[in-house]
Amino acid sequence: MHKLRDAPGETEAGLRAELESVAGQGRVYVLGLGYLDKADDGAGVLVAHALKKLFPSYSYSEHDGVEGTVLDISEKKEDATVFFVDAADLHAPPGTIRVVRREEIDDREITTHRVAVALMAAILERAGKGCAVICIQPETIEFRAQTSVPVKEAVGKLTAALSQVMKVRD
Amino acid sequence: MSRELNVEALARVEGDGGITVTLDGKKVKSVTLDVHEGPRLIEQLVRGMTPADDLNVIPRICAICTLSHRYAALRGLEKALGITPPEKTQLTRELMMLGENVESNSLHTFLLALPDFLGYPSAVAMLNDYGDDVKRALRLKKFGNHVMEVTSGRIVHGENPIIGGFGKYPSRKQLDEIRVKAQELVPDAVRDVELFASLEYPAYSEAPMVFMSVNGLKKKYGFAGDSILISNGKEVSCEDYKKLTNERVVSHSFAKRSLYADKPFTVGANARMVNMGKRLDGQAADMFKEHFNDRWLTNPLYNNLAQAIEMLWSLEHLPEACEAVAAMDDPKIAQPTRLTGSGTGAVEAPRGTLYHHYEIKDGLIDVADIITPTAQNLDDIERHMKLTAEKMLAEGKSDPEVRLGLEMVARAYDPCISCATHLVRLKRV
Repeated sequence: MHKLRDAPGETEAGLRAELESVAGQGRVYVLGLGYLDKADDGAGVLVAHALKKLFPSYSYSEHDGVEGTVLDISEKKEDATVFFVDAADLHAPPGTIRVVRREEIDDREITTHRVAVALMAAILERAGKGCAVICIQPETIEFRAQTSVPVKEAVGKLTAALSQVMKVRD
Repeated sequence: MSRELNVEALARVEGDGGITVTLDGKKVKSVTLDVHEGPRLIEQLVRGMTPADDLNVIPRICAICTLSHRYAALRGLEKALGITPPEKTQLTRELMMLGENVESNSLHTFLLALPDFLGYPSAVAMLNDYGDDVKRALRLKKFGNHVMEVTSGRIVHGENPIIGGFGKYPSRKQLDEIRVKAQELVPDAVRDVELFASLEYPAYSEAPMVFMSVNGLKKKYGFAGDSILISNGKEVSCEDYKKLTNERVVSHSFAKRSLYADKPFTVGANARMVNMGKRLDGQAADMFKEHFNDRWLTNPLYNNLAQAIEMLWSLEHLPEACEAVAAMDDPKIAQPTRLTGSGTGAVEAPRGTLYHHYEIKDGLIDVADIITPTAQNLDDIERHMKLTAEKMLAEGKSDPEVRLGLEMVARAYDPCISCATHLVRLKRV
């Protein structure tokens, strides 16, 4: 279990301030992870899809190819931060949003369905880019179930906060 | 004196399983690969569905070999429905399989298997010393993903390949881009083969093996076929797959097990090389001739080198596959000639032979039977892990060394148990 910061994600303004402090002054990219067929597991993808309408060159999802996207960003000559957005069991109420900073991302490779976030974070770090994982607590990951109400609200809140952070850098 | 030694989070294999080695002193009493992941009952789920609906559900079994599942399902369903797909359809399916092979083999060889051989706990830890190699692997994986997306419509769970054809064929421009990029990446794949050929492959697990793979279409190296080659020289129709797999249930695993002639066997890239390696061409053939030796017939760790050579072959064949697809007009989607029938599709997923058998009655799925490569490999994995444990303990190796040896054997098979965490448990009694 990742060690978690007590992110001030209770309000959109607090969340935005937290994201601003991670992002610094450079470009912000969003990479949404998850599986839409498993209800709240797809929260990250929902955020990325919503942001893609506003920032098509800076918002990506699992469907765009995670490793390739990270590789491309790592090779860009610009100051940048990547926010991975994913559902995660935080042992918190459904819809809770927490920001896990680079130094708190566990180096263990838990998943092989795609390359581990830890590896992608390390590649970005070597390229001088920043990154963090924004976690959303799911209520249900039942196959073919609907996204839960609290996670829908969290997706809306996070999308709004990220769009503000991205807008000032666009 | 008894003691128990656990290693949590054995990463870099697919799925929720674990290994239990029970030792009595230095004697290995048993080695089991325990599959904890619950049965998903997907074969029951699709009963009563139309073949088209079945095709949308079945590939969800796996997010890595999603196209292998789709292709196997298509082959089985089309046989059952009396459909002969047009040539362009077949060639485009071959193209998508080449992409999946590059995608999956680059991931497994570099990011899952290689850290063990180089003495690193993970690909993350390799970055400082092997950063260029890791990025090369990611470039290959990205390209494989791109081919999958162009042909199937999406990187994961693409639904463009349909019964009797494709919803939309790749454009000339897309095919040209793939052709050029594949040619550019061939030198990268050659370097990968050289790297894997330079590794030291421990001999602890060595014992004579039986290999099975499809007999590639038109007697070429390939990832689909209507018969199965066995390394004992026999060839069996894929419709008789049950005689080859003889599935059974064991108490310590939710995955079924397979035996051929009462013995474990191996499927995968190594098996394809053993059975069809002489059909390779290009630089892949040169590499195969240079590096293939008798140890491949006994040591599962060579599956890693086999995957590297196969990835090179896939890249070398993508340009000609693109040319062939581009040269043809888009055909009409082939239609069923019957609504009741049965058929078995056999394809080579990156990790081995995959069977999808269907019986269709009045246009609806009556029976679905899916046998995955890992289910076929599990008994042989256990056999080679037991040998490894016995020999390493006899040499006085430490517990961490034994655990690594066991994990290397398990990983070499590129098992796909599916999602989540793992556990290796070494029990001393």
